[in-house]
Amino acid sequence: MIRFFLSLWENFKEYIVLVVLLIASLFLLSQNNTAGIQRVRTIAFGTFASITSVFSDMFSVGSLKKENEELRRTNAEMMLQLSRLREYGITNADLKGLLALKDSSKFPLIPATIVSKSLSKSQGTVTINAGSNQGVKIGMPIISDKGLAGIVYSVANNYSIARTLNNVDLKITVKSERTRENAVLKWNGDWLVMINVPKTFDLRKGDRIVSSEISSIIPFPLPVGVVYEIGNVQQGIFNEVKIQPFVDFQKVENLFILGIVKSKEIDNIELNFLKRQ
Amino acid sequence: MIRAYHIISIILFFPILLVQTTVIPLLVIDTVLPDLILILLVYYSITQGQIYGSVLGFVYGFLIDIITGTTLGSAMIAKTLAGFTAGYFSSENKKDQYLISYNFALIVLVSSLIDSTINAFFSSVNFTANIFMLFFQFALLPAIYTASLALLGMIFYPKRRAF
Repeated sequence: MIRFFLSLWENFKEYIVLVVLLIASLFLLSQNNTAGIQRVRTIAFGTFASITSVFSDMFSVGSLKKENEELRRTNAEMMLQLSRLREYGITNADLKGLLALKDSSKFPLIPATIVSKSLSKSQGTVTINAGSNQGVKIGMPIISDKGLAGIVYSVANNYSIARTLNNVDLKITVKSERTRENAVLKWNGDWLVMINVPKTFDLRKGDRIVSSEISSIIPFPLPVGVVYEIGNVQQGIFNEVKIQPFVDFQKVENLFILGIVKSKEIDNIELNFLKRQ
Repeated sequence: MIRAYHIISIILFFPILLVQTTVIPLLVIDTVLPDLILILLVYYSITQGQIYGSVLGFVYGFLIDIITGTTLGSAMIAKTLAGFTAGYFSSENKKDQYLISYNFALIVLVSSLIDSTINAFFSSVNFTANIFMLFFQFALLPAIYTASLALLGMIFYPKRRAF
């Protein structure tokens, strides 16, 4: 028996090792979101990012960095302001005189620079130099001066990993700014698409797409992109709408983290309400 | 038994990944990127054999998944199979022939095709679209880019002396 196994090993050891490694990989694939794996990931990318940040700094011009950051902050704040004002304008036209809308408070912006970008085309992630020490939490939206860039996925002390819109695992609810119709936005590996859009929706090429209030991740409308093409019109009952994002993920270097986690805010409100009962 | 090249192959991974995540994005051609890690993996698979290539691919894949935040397991499977494939070309007699000729770039091309195809599969890409276009875009183009870079590396590889 032992001789049989020994000869089996001698003849097929390459294949046996391969099968064992593949089984181990598949096992880890099913353990992706466990606390242990997340902890290992946080330590690993936190350590590596601290080295990467030194390296990536060599590529940026030091004296212009701060001024650039300030300008981008102003730009990002103005973009948020503009986005809110657009929303207020449209809402006011619809509900004028009926609702007293409260003035939303200013959202905190945490500046960050990309220290590395992922290798994968379909699982776009960026490592940024802001972490829990700067107040970053999992689920916070990241924005550039152009619009929504992604969502924070994993946080270490001074660094975070964020999933960009070019990541098949990130799906967000968006709406057309003109028609107010909602749909789910995802990256299909090639394009950003709004999926399962009913044909009755009056979307047109060039319509601005913003994040929706019904999204459980993003608290208020942030610019995402414009309608580029409406596909699958002839067949089926749904359209698939291609979106051209505002953020160019190949060129973007500086980002801001919107210091708010919507679901936690909702949880807190509901908790306070229950306490008052 | 742990040998020097075992440690060197792991240590070399980190500066290469550093370059891959900071400098290589500057060389992007319409979202297509070369994979330096794969070139390193193919080199070790040819010089050290198929088993070593598979195990090293597994380790490299694990480190990539953990550090870059991609789905844990996807790069592991892709790199393990790429290392295994490259290991087929490991032979005591032909090792140098594979390393100092254009054959190295061809081996990188084959391994990279396998690596990119598996990565695309695990990224649940929309396969309802034209499968050949997806293969071309996700697998063939990055593979050709990576192989081209490997070909450039051949220029700097020391040629074997006659004696």
